[in-house]
Amino acid sequence: MTKFLATLLATSAAVAVMSASAIAAEMPKKIGYVTNYATHEWYQNVIKGMQDRAQQLGIELEVRDANLDVNKQVSAAEDFMSRGVDVLIITPVNEEGVVPLVRRAKEEGLPLVLEGNPVKGMTTMVAICDYDTGYHAGVEAGKYAKGHLGGVAKVMNVGLPLLSATVLRSNGFMDGLKTEIPDATMVHDLDGGGNPDRALEISAAALAQNSDINIIYGINDSSSQGGLQAWKASGRSQDGLLVVGTGGEGLGFINMMNTEPSYQIEAAMFPEKVGFTAIDAAVKLFNDEEVPQHIVSPTTPMIGSDGWKQYYSVDGTTRTINWDAVNAVQPAEQCMKTAADL
Amino acid sequence: MSEITQPAKSGPVAGRLANNSQIVLLALLVVLCIGISLSAAQFYSVENVIAILRQCSLVLIVGAGMTMLLIAGEVDLSVGASLAFSGCVAMDVTNKTGSVFLGALAGILFGGLVGLFNGLVVTRLKVNSLIATIATMMILQGGVFLYTREAVQNKHQQPAFTDISTGYLGPIPLPVIIAAAVFACAYVALRYTTLGRYIYAVGANAKAARLSGRRPEQLKLLVFVVTGLLAGLTGLILASLMNTGQPTAGRGFELTVIAAVILGGTSLLGGRGTLLGTLLGVLILKVIDNGIIILRWDQNLQMIVPGVVIVLATYLDLVRRRADAR
Repeated sequence: MTKFLATLLATSAAVAVMSASAIAAEMPKKIGYVTNYATHEWYQNVIKGMQDRAQQLGIELEVRDANLDVNKQVSAAEDFMSRGVDVLIITPVNEEGVVPLVRRAKEEGLPLVLEGNPVKGMTTMVAICDYDTGYHAGVEAGKYAKGHLGGVAKVMNVGLPLLSATVLRSNGFMDGLKTEIPDATMVHDLDGGGNPDRALEISAAALAQNSDINIIYGINDSSSQGGLQAWKASGRSQDGLLVVGTGGEGLGFINMMNTEPSYQIEAAMFPEKVGFTAIDAAVKLFNDEEVPQHIVSPTTPMIGSDGWKQYYSVDGTTRTINWDAVNAVQPAEQCMKTAADL
Repeated sequence: MSEITQPAKSGPVAGRLANNSQIVLLALLVVLCIGISLSAAQFYSVENVIAILRQCSLVLIVGAGMTMLLIAGEVDLSVGASLAFSGCVAMDVTNKTGSVFLGALAGILFGGLVGLFNGLVVTRLKVNSLIATIATMMILQGGVFLYTREAVQNKHQQPAFTDISTGYLGPIPLPVIIAAAVFACAYVALRYTTLGRYIYAVGANAKAARLSGRRPEQLKLLVFVVTGLLAGLTGLILASLMNTGQPTAGRGFELTVIAAVILGGTSLLGGRGTLLGTLLGVLILKVIDNGIIILRWDQNLQMIVPGVVIVLATYLDLVRRRADAR
């Protein structure tokens, strides 16, 4: 019996070692990532997710920031190419601006993964479904309105009409909301610029024009925050108000969910998971595996003041993702609507 | 500026209008208010008036400093970046010390230090203030992300901090009271003190001011510091209003301030301007901003209007100078 166990253990160990070396042999040694705006909380957490996954897989990851400058982005990507990275990941500053890079990477046989935005000629892109993200948050907002707001839904959308992604979120939110409350109306459709001070100023004027709303929807956390702060600055009570944010970009939404009674729903987009998935996609491309053109990164609404605790923990000024919970969120097979549907 | 420059007694219509700019601005403000009110009655609701005044207060506080700076012949383009950084400092220090007073003091002093830096670069290193303060803006916009990688959240949850922006003294919001106090102090200083006359003199002709025994560099340094302190104060109010220290706040704020100040008749070339004009300029810009929302017009107009105002006001300034030269 002892001899049998010893043989079994030795065989298992040998198989494990062989598997490990096989996996190691298939890993790219170095991945270069050119982000578009590393100072934004969203991208900081995308990078964090990439770093976590790269470390797990024993891959060296180098990150460069284009700082919203397409020329800088092209130059950083070309530098990575000339230094011979095994895979390149890019978050395009401008879809048109990186088309030559996509072409050159194909010519040189360099695997290229895009994050966030599609580019003509791309092999694959890792991104969330913006419409779906808004839609599912809208459904939950409708359920909340039925239970707590007397079945009435009058929305102030603190949006950003400049970007198709954020328009899709707003459209998805209203469509999802209407599945629960068909009479839901959008009272204000605002351009909050995606930043809190602008969102606050615009929302304050809109509320003065017509304050008969009971739901504030923000296309990102800054927008929902600006809308809510305008509501508070006008001296209104948060009773009978629902605030829905989008992104789950940093600590801001956690603070608001903890302290603001109306902030009940956050459409989490898990930036860390986007980074994690981008590294997995890079590995697949490196191994010549088939990948879909759009690899969907999952999103889900987080509900109630404790909703975020399932996915994140916070220690001081650092938040840590709960990978088991986030990896358990199933992504959509394909998006309900995309920019092409606008 | 009427205090030191006599208006032309005759000239083309544009020149005459330019010389009576405050009356023109007041008339424009009245017409705007009446026009918007006729189209949307909500415009003159108490809530909307308070919203407008609260927004005006932020621009007016920095505008008071910027008016003095422009009259002295200098400009500060770093005020937007400075107020964002100051707001982060104020929130962070309040979080760490638990003291709203210390947080507020730190935020305001940080703004003052930025002003001091600008002043030293301009007066000691003789760098043009336009270039120097653009450089400072870049330093601050990058530096704030070294200070904090993300928005500084309100961890202290002290009501006194949010009261700075949302509190009231009687029926009047506190930021409006603060702006009125700043405006009154700046108005008195500029209009009724030797210091004020000195600022006009330095802006009108620095060489002549120096020959008469004055030291323009010291004065300019002082005005830079005052503008910085006011940017810090505004950063504190904005952080209180947003309940976070936002590193990305205040982008483009400097242009709104400058647009309001030159719309009010202050010359970009120095030596001319009034705080009353700045007040009217701020009110007009913010009423237009508000009116665009109230009337549900395309919000892109909010970006276009300050740009058009800068061009028109600068042109009027040139017209006025030509009229003065006759």
